[in-house]
Amino acid sequence: MSNDDSRSRGRLVPAVAVGLLFAVMAFTALSAEFGFEAVGFPADASIVHNIGYALFNLAEYELGAVPSEGFLAAFLIAAVALDVAVDGAVYLAKREEGGSIVAAVGEALTDGGREGGERQ
Amino acid sequence: MVNAFAYVPAIVLLPFFSFLVALGAGRYLPKGGAFGGIAATAGSFLLSIWVAAAVAGERAYNETLYYWASEGGAGIGPTDIELSFGVLIDPLSSLMLVIVTLVALLVHVFSLGYMNDEGETGLPRYYAGLGLFTASMLGFVVADNLLMAFMFFELVGLCSYLLIGFHFREPGPPSAAKKAFLVTRFGDYFFLVGVVAVFATFGTAQFAGSESFPALADAALNGSGSVAWTPGGVELQTWLTVVGLLVLGGVVGKSAQFPLHTWLPDAMEGPTPVSALIHAATMVAAGVYLVARMYGFYALTPTTLAVIAFIGGFTALFAATMGVVKDELKQVLAYSTISQYGYMMLALGSGGYVAAVFHLTTHAFFKALLFLGAGAVIIAMHHNENMWDMGGLKSKMPVTYYTFLAGSLALAGIFPFAGFWSKDEILYEALVHGLNDPLLLGGYVMGLLAVPVTAFYTFRMVFLTFHGEPRSETARDPEPVRWNVKGPLTVLGALAVVTGFINMVPVQKVLGLEGIDLLHLWLDNHWGGIEGLSSHHYADLVPYSSGYLVGGEVGTVLVGAAVSLGLALAGLLVAWRLYNVPSPTEHTAKLGGIKDVLYNNYYLDELQVWLAYRTEDVAGGANTFDQGIIDGVVNGVSSVSLFGGSRVRRLQSGVVSQYATLLTLGLVALILVLGLTEGGFL
Amino acid sequence: MTAVASSIPPEWYLLLAVAVFCIGLFGVLTRNDALYFLMSVELMMNAANINFVAFALFYQDLTGQVFALFVIALAAAEVAIGIGIILVLYRNFGVTDVTVPTEMRW
Repeated sequence: MSNDDSRSRGRLVPAVAVGLLFAVMAFTALSAEFGFEAVGFPADASIVHNIGYALFNLAEYELGAVPSEGFLAAFLIAAVALDVAVDGAVYLAKREEGGSIVAAVGEALTDGGREGGERQ
Repeated sequence: MVNAFAYVPAIVLLPFFSFLVALGAGRYLPKGGAFGGIAATAGSFLLSIWVAAAVAGERAYNETLYYWASEGGAGIGPTDIELSFGVLIDPLSSLMLVIVTLVALLVHVFSLGYMNDEGETGLPRYYAGLGLFTASMLGFVVADNLLMAFMFFELVGLCSYLLIGFHFREPGPPSAAKKAFLVTRFGDYFFLVGVVAVFATFGTAQFAGSESFPALADAALNGSGSVAWTPGGVELQTWLTVVGLLVLGGVVGKSAQFPLHTWLPDAMEGPTPVSALIHAATMVAAGVYLVARMYGFYALTPTTLAVIAFIGGFTALFAATMGVVKDELKQVLAYSTISQYGYMMLALGSGGYVAAVFHLTTHAFFKALLFLGAGAVIIAMHHNENMWDMGGLKSKMPVTYYTFLAGSLALAGIFPFAGFWSKDEILYEALVHGLNDPLLLGGYVMGLLAVPVTAFYTFRMVFLTFHGEPRSETARDPEPVRWNVKGPLTVLGALAVVTGFINMVPVQKVLGLEGIDLLHLWLDNHWGGIEGLSSHHYADLVPYSSGYLVGGEVGTVLVGAAVSLGLALAGLLVAWRLYNVPSPTEHTAKLGGIKDVLYNNYYLDELQVWLAYRTEDVAGGANTFDQGIIDGVVNGVSSVSLFGGSRVRRLQSGVVSQYATLLTLGLVALILVLGLTEGGFL
Repeated sequence: MTAVASSIPPEWYLLLAVAVFCIGLFGVLTRNDALYFLMSVELMMNAANINFVAFALFYQDLTGQVFALFVIALAAAEVAIGIGIILVLYRNFGVTDVTVPTEMRW
């Protein structure tokens, strides 16, 4: 399967590249100086509630104990992007067969019908 | 009183305008541009006479007309150099102007008979060529500096090429034109190097004036001045000799001296008036005229003078021997021309400046006469030039015969025709200066030996052509010639007789009369001229001393004259006995193998071709170097680029994962570089 | 109240993220099948998420966690489109092997 595919091509150069990258970034990470004391979130704060407040721009009203920024605009844009992605996926999945368009969903729900789909 | 010298440029420009007219409008003109040419040369002739009269009226003219580069002097090389066009009118150049314009005028008139009446085609091209040639030659004569002289020298060579190759649809003339151009060009290469050397050494190439290069050279040699530059480590005298020899290269080529004489006999493929104008009287005179013009420079270097004299004497004898066996009329005259210019070079090399100019004058007239006479014969014989098909023409063409005879007597040097006086003076100068200089004496002996040979071949030519019984149908019934042929012949015939009287030096010396050596006085600035260009100044510079035979000066004159006249008459008598018979035979065949050598011009043409092939081999080596190494390097650079490109492009495999690998590697490298250089990290 | 202390120093979180990233990168560079390729891309994105969440803890700010949420959402969107593209690829080339379509090459 795919393992055979991987092994049949040369894996040396990618391995070396990845190894080097790992080495460099690990070295950077381990030699970095952080100025944190041991910190964490308040023990009794509900993280999920606070995430919800942040998403609706309610974080500035100090409803929860954990500070954050407002993410309402990003939330809405992400919603739009997901919507677009679904529409795109559906469109890409449409097939042309025998001169007319067949949707994946249409195949599943109909009884097979005649060739050419609904129009005939 | 109008200044005659203001019209000097017109002398040069009138024939140039006739060139333009013939070129542009020739086919609409009735005679193809002939009348324009005749009018232009006649105008130039009259202007030349006027200018000569002005010189005789105690004035001379040396003026720069136009600076075409670096006016005021730009520091090119070791000195400041100005490049200009100017005119120099002194006794020598005004004399030459008269000669050139007169011969050009007569040749133009003759061309009406030779070209127009014979129904030649392409006449506008012919008259344009003649006009351009005349303009170039006149420009050369009046040039006041060596560079301008060189430019017109080359132009004259070009016109010679164009006119020799006039009948370019036949195989012979274009080949002859190429040969003439290439051989003279070979000499002109050295001339050009010499011009540059003159500029580098003196900073000026002017012929006359206190700042001229002969004057500067003279001052440098006797210590009262210095030159701007000499090549490192070379003594001044040696360097001046080298420069003189370089310029001599052009002279040897143009005046057809050995070894660059091979083009002149082939140049006879051109129409006969062209041969008369260019290859007898004017273009080949350009070389000798140049040496005479620069004589103040050449006189300072005895080695060059000796070389000139020896080349001259040798050529005189050498060419005369070849003229003996030729069968075609114009070929004999061609070798005669080479031989006579050898005499002039002998004179110049021996310090006989006046003698050389005198022979230049008389030769121009009688050689042009002989060529035009040959042209008349060729018209009559329907363009058959072989002398063995001629004979008995003297009763059918009397005017031609008598003028031709006058010219031949002048050429052979028979008293009292023009050639006698000039040739005698040359031999006298060579003898007198040669008694103290063995090299000159060798030249004198060769020149003397050439005298009977000259007389022999000249009269062989006359007797074969005009005497005896006609040997072919065309000779029995020749084509008649008109006034436009006979007119120039008579004018030149008269000149061939009387020109000698302008400088009767032997008579002056023997009878003690003063003032009849008119040419000597003319060239000595007696009536007017430019300081430093007179013959007595040259006589002061020339490093020869005069020796005399028994009887002192008078005795030497008489002995010399008697010997040369006697030899000439002897040659004439031999020719008389052998060829002045009703049916002459080819006596030269009795020479056997020698005749073959002479007929093939001592195989010098073959030698030159062989040399050309060896040069081609050397050039082949240079070509291999160029293609293999130089082109190889350039092609190698490009092939490196192509090879590198063909390998590097394989990175684009189309597989995105591989691109991502390269991205990763690049990222790693970037981080490392940034970390190491920006610091603090590794 | 007292904060929940984190006894793990931050370098280790970074190291974990780097390791996961490199594993994902190795998968991207080596895998032939397009679906595995997408999975490896998901891994790389999750490595970044680890970083976000870790530093949200150390800065005591939820911004990091919200960001991680958005990353997950957009990763999903991207996968949706990616699957669609793989579908088209399969239709044109007959296989989902990414080394097969090599038209844009030298």
